Amino acid sequence: MKEKHDAELMRLVNEKHRHALDELYDRYIKLVYGFVMKFCNGNEDKTKEIVQLVFLRLWTTNSHYDPDQGSFVNWLLTITRNICIDYLRKEKRHTRHHQEKLEEIADPANAIEQRVNTNDIAMAKNKLPTAQRKLIDLLYWKGYSLSEIAKLEQEPLGTIKSRLHQALKGLRKHLELEDIK
Amino acid sequence: MRRDCEHLIPYIANELKESEHMAFVEHLKNCTECKKEYQELSQAWHALPFDYTEIEVPESLKGEVLGFVFDHKRKSGTETFMAKMSKLAMILKSQFTPVSASIVAVLLLAITGLGIANVQENNRHAENIPIEILTAIRLKAANQSHPGANGIAYIVQQGSEKNLVVQVNEFPDVEGSQVYQVWLLKDGKRENGGIFKPDENGFGLLTYQLAAGQTFDQIGITVEPDVNSSQPRGQKIAGS
Repeated sequence: MKEKHDAELMRLVNEKHRHALDELYDRYIKLVYGFVMKFCNGNEDKTKEIVQLVFLRLWTTNSHYDPDQGSFVNWLLTITRNICIDYLRKEKRHTRHHQEKLEEIADPANAIEQRVNTNDIAMAKNKLPTAQRKLIDLLYWKGYSLSEIAKLEQEPLGTIKSRLHQALKGLRKHLELEDIK
Repeated sequence: MRRDCEHLIPYIANELKESEHMAFVEHLKNCTECKKEYQELSQAWHALPFDYTEIEVPESLKGEVLGFVFDHKRKSGTETFMAKMSKLAMILKSQFTPVSASIVAVLLLAITGLGIANVQENNRHAENIPIEILTAIRLKAANQSHPGANGIAYIVQQGSEKNLVVQVNEFPDVEGSQVYQVWLLKDGKRENGGIFKPDENGFGLLTYQLAAGQTFDQIGITVEPDVNSSQPRGQKIAGS
């Protein structure tokens, strides 16, 4: 039922109804804000900039949300993550010589993460072997590509791919997603 | 098949090139093994974002975000025609090689020129009516046997008249009476959007005048046995 409303709302946004964007904001800002804040390691200024870009993308996009392809939240977060990654890549290009410092990748745990151990996915993630956890952080939250990670870790790309496979399998097991259809 | 299956992980991580991505979507339809794995793994992938703390959102943020979005719109609304053209050139640059981008640019200039010349020739209007590009839609290969086929469609407005301009590259040659036909999909119904034949390099161009108020959701291009199709009879080669 809610999905239907989201799809309808997004259709109105595509047709440039301002109140629809306003409502999407109210509905999802907590999710988007929390997500971007984590991606930016708690940097409020960057978070604000990225959140602005996310809503600008929703307002100007020509692509339509299709409920058959999955939930609206997944769609929204995929867009949000892509914008985070673009933003980070641009930033990295500006500070290329600081890039790939080991400290950046040494310890994926950060201050925010210390506080989230109460939620399911964080708990499931903590059950993963360190290498798998680190891979997910680099890939999902730091926006490194699989081949960049292979280079950083000095391991074959195939190893990194199969590690991600194992990590997702493990997560699913720990989350006991089997009963979710 | 084995090689295709190896694309599952980069597909989930959204790292495949566009052509590979399309090919894998097709593969996924036919490979039960991958389909099952994908369902399982993508559930875990989509659970990843929820690994964050809910933080209080500053109240002032809403005004700043919506202000930014709507202001941006107003600013871009007053952008000059040339600014729009250069923006389009930037988009094209990021999507095409310099060669194909410049071909498109030359074509657009030619279309603009011809349009203006036409108006002047007919001498129907005292002034030239500017042509505005309303939308640019990228067309991607829809058939694995021709993965390189690609193109771009524009909706171009001049005065109250709207035209669809379709430009394609790397289309396979047609034989005999075969033609390519453009279909405009609206609410599940397909309407004819014009017919063209590509040249020997696979390059094709079509302009088609849209009826007043005509809109569509998607574009598809099929290869048809002749020019008489009222519904697609042949294979789809590319689409939006």
